[in-house]
Amino acid sequence: MKKRAQCAAIGISAAVLAVVFEVGATSGSSASSNRKSVSSSTLRENYSSDNSQPTYTRDIAPMLFHSCAPCHRPGEAAPFSLLTYADAKSHARLIVDVTQRHIMPPWLPSPDDPKFADDLRLSSAEIKRLQDWVDQGATEGNPADLPPEPQWVKGWQLGKPDVIVKATKPYALAAGGTDTYWNFVFRSPVDRPRWLKAIEIRPGDKRLVHHANVLVDRGQTARLQEKTPGAGFGGMELTIESELFDPDSHFLFWKPGSAPYVEPDGMAIRLDQSADLVLNTHLQPSGKPETLQPTLGLYFTDKPATLHPILLQMENDRQLDIPAGAKDFVVTDDFTLPVDVTLLAIYPHAHYLGRDLEATAALPDGKSETLIHIPRWDLNWQAVYRYTDAMSLPAGTRITMRFTYDNSAGNVRNPNHPPQRVVAGNRASDEMAHLWLQVLPKDARSGIDPRAQIQEAMARHHLDKNPDDFEARYNLAALLQARGDVAGSTAQFAQAVRIRPTDAAANNALGAALLASGRTTQAIPYLAKALKTRPDYFDAHYNLGNALATQGDFARALEQFREAVRLHPQDADAEANLGSALAETGNLKGARAHFERALKLNPNHQLARENLQQLDQSNSNDHSN
Amino acid sequence: MGRGLYTIPIVLRILLVFSILTLAFLQHTRGVSGGQARPASQGSGVDLTGATVDPLKAAAGKVVVLIFVRIDCPISNRYSPTIQRLSAEHPGQVVFWLVYPDRSESAEQIQKHQRDFGYTLPALRDVQRSLVTESRVQTTPEAAVFDANRRLVYHGRIDNLFADFGRARPAATTHELGDAIQAALDGKAVAADSVPAVGCYISDLK
Repeated sequence: MKKRAQCAAIGISAAVLAVVFEVGATSGSSASSNRKSVSSSTLRENYSSDNSQPTYTRDIAPMLFHSCAPCHRPGEAAPFSLLTYADAKSHARLIVDVTQRHIMPPWLPSPDDPKFADDLRLSSAEIKRLQDWVDQGATEGNPADLPPEPQWVKGWQLGKPDVIVKATKPYALAAGGTDTYWNFVFRSPVDRPRWLKAIEIRPGDKRLVHHANVLVDRGQTARLQEKTPGAGFGGMELTIESELFDPDSHFLFWKPGSAPYVEPDGMAIRLDQSADLVLNTHLQPSGKPETLQPTLGLYFTDKPATLHPILLQMENDRQLDIPAGAKDFVVTDDFTLPVDVTLLAIYPHAHYLGRDLEATAALPDGKSETLIHIPRWDLNWQAVYRYTDAMSLPAGTRITMRFTYDNSAGNVRNPNHPPQRVVAGNRASDEMAHLWLQVLPKDARSGIDPRAQIQEAMARHHLDKNPDDFEARYNLAALLQARGDVAGSTAQFAQAVRIRPTDAAANNALGAALLASGRTTQAIPYLAKALKTRPDYFDAHYNLGNALATQGDFARALEQFREAVRLHPQDADAEANLGSALAETGNLKGARAHFERALKLNPNHQLARENLQQLDQSNSNDHSN
Repeated sequence: MGRGLYTIPIVLRILLVFSILTLAFLQHTRGVSGGQARPASQGSGVDLTGATVDPLKAAAGKVVVLIFVRIDCPISNRYSPTIQRLSAEHPGQVVFWLVYPDRSESAEQIQKHQRDFGYTLPALRDVQRSLVTESRVQTTPEAAVFDANRRLVYHGRIDNLFADFGRARPAATTHELGDAIQAALDGKAVAADSVPAVGCYISDLK
């Protein structure tokens, strides 16, 4: 997952959100809807009073169908099938062993946690029944007792996608060695902004892929890490640079055995033609050389987003400085909600030293709720957990994360042998202390977009912990800018530039803020510096063009607008400004062509229309003279 | 991830202690490399052409390593690069066999498995489980090392890559099979003659 999306609030509308949203009614689109499942609660009731000899057909098959076969069947992630008596018999002791020790089915949250969707866990009565079955001879039983095998959906789980995109180049996974993390970059397949209700991730051979995440990369920044276009790039964590909060605050997560999540009406994800989709995969060698070329199935909806959840990221990477050998190293963070929210989903994240991951909420009325508790963290089975019943958390609720790390030699997953000091970082051998919460703000009593309130509170919280937190500084500046606080945002952008003097986004933003407050001369050096770091930076060319034009230097402004148009040929503003600069330098014919082009891109472009009219007028004046 | 999480079975601890005591006893009574060969049940398997083969007789005078594997056992498959690397380390001195104890796996399936995983080792189907018995193995993957006198000097895990099901180390930190082979070549006692392996239970097979 990306470290932190830079969530500039520019473009967040201040519209009041009418949020009456029942998750329970809409979240059924996950795995269970794709197959006729056997109700395990019915089974659990049956066991309590049943002392007869268990048989495969009557007792075991329903359990395996429900809780194991979603992965343990041909073509799915698990290494062998559990669909028949022969399958079950040839792994019988193994099944008892791994279920008794809760290794399978894989499920990290504690049984005392709130209910999450797609929980495949077996009850203790079921686990006992499996043991009894094996102890008493693992018999097949009466064939008439065998329930029908679930109706598995073949191919795309949600039906034929509207658009299918395939990774440009396959990735060659070595036969041996340790786990690998690879990112595939997909170019946007749409020719206009579309709303996505789901993305189905088909990572390739599911036995190799432990989990995968899709991130919408609006700024096409991830692809800069590819050595050749389409080749993809390695790395466990992604930092997507973006001036928008991505990916629209939705989790796009795949793990074995899970069906794609369909967003409820009103919570669609925007996909622009200029966005990339980045698929971050965690791969495990199989023992033989493999190749992977994932595909994504995109499902569109006509219903645009009307509900805007946001992701709260709690973290305390600064506390992560774990001495070699430390067995119980604790990292905490807490955040007080500035507005009422509904908690939809949660995603705790640590690497190989993480052991016990917990999040709690202290409500203003004094009650305390566990949001999630993972007593035995296992990166390999990390997941996004969606609450079966969305949880209401009022303003003033204090959310606390408490992660415990084991950097001793006793931790078999320890990437260092012998243990070494470990600090925060993006590599698998570094650590992380992150907790993401997907929340839906409830209303906006103050008239300010509650998402902006949450984001501002979040940014200030991060800055309290670390005044040099670049992303928080940048985001706070952007939020202040969106609120119209020019002086405040300029000061914060200046801080961001102080923290990262050569950062292109920060220099451009500071230049833009200075430009907006009329300090053109001061703005120009920052815009120029942004372009020095990133010569293909559309925004900086556009802003520098504006700054130069403001100073009356139209010849140099022209160069900048030409670059801007080359980089974004579909941008009406850049076309209109290029037209204006051409007109100012006397090239009226060229100016006309670009005003017309701007109007073609956006028929309502006011500036282009007015300028074109002016050209027409001066033309007719010329003729009349 | 604390120790308690791996739930090491009590039985396993007793076995470890026992093996150390046995070793001490043997060293005391017969020195490091002396002693008598254990009376071995004469195990044999069936090669992929259907011919009966006694892998120990076929390589008389050499160290013989039997690796028990299974087509659909993910842990044994994950070990294929390690198995092949180890098998190439002592050319001419050590003979490796892959042994497939699952009677339901046909010669054709095994040939495909060998192609898929790039195995160049000879394979045997242990249809009578006599090699399993002689090697005292319980899981796939598990290795058995016989010295030049057909004495079983080690049986157990290849290394400690897997601490438990689904709990692999980034890399193995102990290398029991490699050490056992070296000890057998040097005529020395193996540090522990058995370390339980993590994998699929052979007793689950028909």
